[in-house]
Amino acid sequence: MQVFLQTFIGGVSLGAIYALVAMGFSLVFRTMGLVNFSHGNVVMIGAYIASTFYLSVKLPFAVAMVIALGLTGLIGVFIERVLRPLENKDFDLMLIGTIGFGIVLEAVAIIIWGATGRAVPNPVAVAPVQIFGLRIRTYDLVVLAITTAATLLLVYFLQRTKRGAAMQAVAMDHEAATAVGIHVGRSNAIAFMLGAALAALAGGLVGPLLYVNPSMGGMLGIKGFAGAILGGFGSIPGAIVGGIAIGVLDSFAGGWFQGYSDLVTFLVFTMIIMIRPTGIFGERTVNRA
Amino acid sequence: MKYRIAGIAALVAFAWYLPYQLDSYMIHVANVIIVFAILAIGLGLVMGVAGQINLAQIAFFGAAAYGTAILTTRAGFGFWTAAALAMLIAATIGLLVGTPALRMQSHYLGIVTLGLALALTNWVTNAHIAGGAEGISGIPAPELPGIDLHNAYFFYYLELVVFLLALAFGLFVVHTPLGRKMRAMRDDSLAAGAVGVEVPQLRMTAFFLSSIYGGLAGVLYAGLIRYVAPESFSIANMFLLLAMVIIGGRQSLIGCVVGAVALSLLREVLVDYPTYAQVAYGSVVVLTVVFAPTGLAGLPKRIRGLLRRVGWLPGDTGPVPKLGPFLPYAETPRPAAEPILRIDEVSMHFRGLKALQEISMTVNAGEIRGIVGPNGSGKTTLFNVVSGLYRPTAGRVYLADKDMTAASPHVLARKGIARTFQNLRLFALLSVRDNLLVALDQTSILSNWRYVLWQAGVWRHDQSLRAEADELLQRFGLTDFADSAPGELPYGTQRRVEIARAMARRPSLLLLDEPAAGLNGEEVRQLSEIVRSIRASGVTVVIIEHNMGLVMSLCERVTVLASGRVIADGTPAEVARAPQVVEAYLGDSAMSEDVPEIVETEAAR
Repeated sequence: MQVFLQTFIGGVSLGAIYALVAMGFSLVFRTMGLVNFSHGNVVMIGAYIASTFYLSVKLPFAVAMVIALGLTGLIGVFIERVLRPLENKDFDLMLIGTIGFGIVLEAVAIIIWGATGRAVPNPVAVAPVQIFGLRIRTYDLVVLAITTAATLLLVYFLQRTKRGAAMQAVAMDHEAATAVGIHVGRSNAIAFMLGAALAALAGGLVGPLLYVNPSMGGMLGIKGFAGAILGGFGSIPGAIVGGIAIGVLDSFAGGWFQGYSDLVTFLVFTMIIMIRPTGIFGERTVNRA
Repeated sequence: MKYRIAGIAALVAFAWYLPYQLDSYMIHVANVIIVFAILAIGLGLVMGVAGQINLAQIAFFGAAAYGTAILTTRAGFGFWTAAALAMLIAATIGLLVGTPALRMQSHYLGIVTLGLALALTNWVTNAHIAGGAEGISGIPAPELPGIDLHNAYFFYYLELVVFLLALAFGLFVVHTPLGRKMRAMRDDSLAAGAVGVEVPQLRMTAFFLSSIYGGLAGVLYAGLIRYVAPESFSIANMFLLLAMVIIGGRQSLIGCVVGAVALSLLREVLVDYPTYAQVAYGSVVVLTVVFAPTGLAGLPKRIRGLLRRVGWLPGDTGPVPKLGPFLPYAETPRPAAEPILRIDEVSMHFRGLKALQEISMTVNAGEIRGIVGPNGSGKTTLFNVVSGLYRPTAGRVYLADKDMTAASPHVLARKGIARTFQNLRLFALLSVRDNLLVALDQTSILSNWRYVLWQAGVWRHDQSLRAEADELLQRFGLTDFADSAPGELPYGTQRRVEIARAMARRPSLLLLDEPAAGLNGEEVRQLSEIVRSIRASGVTVVIIEHNMGLVMSLCERVTVLASGRVIADGTPAEVARAPQVVEAYLGDSAMSEDVPEIVETEAAR
C-alpha cells in the first residue's frame, strides 16, 4: 500500500506537467482544429530558456520562468504566422508542417545549447513533507500549485473575457465568427501563443525534475498529447485528467516493468483509445454528409 | 510517351553503370539511399495514396531488420529463410499498427502509430534477445549462387533489381483498381463508402502494403550493414523519412523516390554538419507544405502553368470542352409495384436533438418518390440512415424485405443503394474518369490476391472497366471532361458527374439529395430528363428537392417531412393542398396556391 501510494504520488507530479502540455495541445486544437506536433519541442525550448536564465544569468527561478514564457510565446506566434495559409484547409499538411518546425527547433537547440544536456538544481531547497509515512517533495507541491493556478487562469480567460469568448466562437464556427467581426487569424495567433506559453511553463517546471536535453521534447510532447486525447481532445478538464492519468500510468508502468515502461504505457494508451476514441470527456465532432 | 520510355531507359542505364564511377564509400552511400527509397515508396503508398497518417514506417523497417538479425544470429537460420520470416513479422506488425485506423484518422492515427513505433524502439533497447543498446552484429551476408554479396558493388545490383521491381509494383497498384480505390478513400472516405469501397479493409490493406515495403527495406538493410542497433530506427529517422516523402511529393511514388535520393544526398553533403542538415530539411518541409504541397513531383506542372501565364508556352488551344447531350437508357418494362425500401418507425437522435422521430414510409419499385420539407426537417438525415452513414437510434430499414438497419455504407452500396450528396462529394484529386472507375469496380477486397499472383488478370479487368467508363462518360455527355479534375468543372456539370458516378454502381435504388440545387433552368430540365430515363431503365429513385416545380412534375408520390416527422404523404396534388403542409411551409394564413412559387425562390439562391 505504501509503495502503491508513493508511486501514485510520483505519477501525479509528473502528470501535472503532462497536463500542462496537454492543455497547450487542447487549446490550439479546439481553437483551430490543429494538432501542433512541434509542441513537445516548444516545451524543450522553454526548459532551456528558463534554465539558461536561472543558471547562467542567475535570475530568480520565477523571473526566469516569466522570460521563458514570453520568448516561447513569440515562437508560437511565429509558427502560427508561417502556417496561416493552410489554416482551415488541409489539416494533414499543417500537421506535417508542425513536425517540420519540431525538427528545426530541436536542431536549433543543439546549435545553441549543445547536444549534451544539463541538470537543473531544485529551486525549492526544503526537506520533503512527510504525511502518513509518505514522502512528498516540496517541489512537487509547487508544480501542482502552479498547474492549478494556470488552469484556473486559462478557464477564467476563456469564459470571462471578451477575447476568450471570441476564441470560443472561432472554435465553434470560424466562418460565423468572421461574419460577426472576429479576426480569426488573430484569435488563432493568441491560441498558439498561449499554447506555447503553457509549453514553456511545463518546460520550466520539468527542468528540475528531469535532465534538460534537446531530445526531451519528443517524449514529453507525445505523452502530453496522449494525455490530451485520453481526456477528450479539445477539452480543458479532459487535458488535466488525461495528463495526470498518463503520468500515473507511466509511474506504475515504470515501477512494474522498469525499462519497458514506455512500451506498456503506449500499448495501454492505444487500447484505451481504440475502445473509446473520444476520450473520457469526449470531443465535439460532427460528421456531416 | 516516346520521350518517357527514352527517359526511363536512360535512368536505368545510368543506375546500371553508376557503380563504375563510385569509390567504396560512395557505393555504400548509394546502397543506403536505395534502402531509403524503398521505405519512402511504402510510406508514399500509405500516406500519399491511401491518406493514412503513418508514423510507424520506421518500425516496420526495424522489425524486419531485427527479425533478420535475431533469426540468423540467435536461431541459426540461413539469411533467406530469416528474411522471409522477418517479412512476415513486419507484415504482422503492419496489420497491428493499422488496426487503430479502423477507428480513428488524422492526428489520432498520427499519435497512435508514433506511440507504437516508440514502443518497438523501447522493446529493442531493453530486450536481451535484441542485444540492448549495443544491437546485434555479425549478421551473415545473404548468399546467391555465383554472386558474392559481401561485395558492396554486387549488393548494389541486388538492391537495384529489388528496388525496380518494388517501384514497378507500387506504380501498378496506384494505377489499377486497388490504388484508385485508395485514392478515392483518401479524398473522401464517406463518398468512397457510398460507392461500395470497403473502407476499413482498404485501410488495413494500405498498412499491409507499406509494411511489406518496410520489411523489404529492413531485410536489405540487415544484409547490407550486417549490424543493427536501436538508433537506426529512431523517431528522428522516421521524421527524416517523412521529410523525404513530403518534399518529394507524397502523392507520387516517383516523387517519394526523388525526395529520398535528394535528402540522402543533402545529408551526405552536410555529413560534417548534421545539425545544420537537420535545420535545412526541417525548414524545407515547412516551406514545402506551405508553398508547394505537391512537393518536387508537382513542380513540373506548376512551372508549366506559370510559363503559360507568362506567355512563354502556348495555352490550351483545343476546342472548348462542352457538356454533351444525355443519351437515354434503354427502357425496361416497369417492375411490379412491390416495396423496395421500407422504413419502419425510424428515429435518429443526436444527444438532445431529435432529427427524426418515428418515420415510417414505403417506396415501391419503379417509383420516383419526392421528399420535401423545410430546411432542418430531417431529409438528409433520413438519407444518411438509409445509406448506412448513421445507425438509427430506433427503428428498422428494410431493403426489399431484408433488414439492413446496421449495415455499413459499402455493404448497402453493394446491395444496390447509390446516392448523391447535397454539397457534392466528388473525389477531388481524381479525374472525372477515375471518379467513375472507382464506382464501376464491383470486385471485393478479396480479389486482390491477383495483385500478387496474376497481374495480367488485374490489367485485363482494368481495361474492361475503362471501356465501361468510356460508355458511361458518353451517356452522360461528359467525354470532353474525362481527364479534368472535378473542381475545374462548372457546378452543374459536377452535379451531373455525381449522378453518373452513382449510376456507375448500376443500383436498384438511387437516392438524390437536392440534385437541382444551384442549377439553372435549362440544367433543371436536363436533370428531369435524366431522372426519368433512369427510372425508365428500372431504377427506383428517391429525390430530396426544394424546387417544387421539379418535384410536382417528376414525382408520383411525395412525402413531406417537418421537424423530423412525416406530416403528409400522397400524390403531388394532394400534398400541395394538405393544410398541415401549407402550415409547415408558410404559416397558417397563407394561400395554398402560392406554395410552389415561394419555395422556388428559395431553391434559386
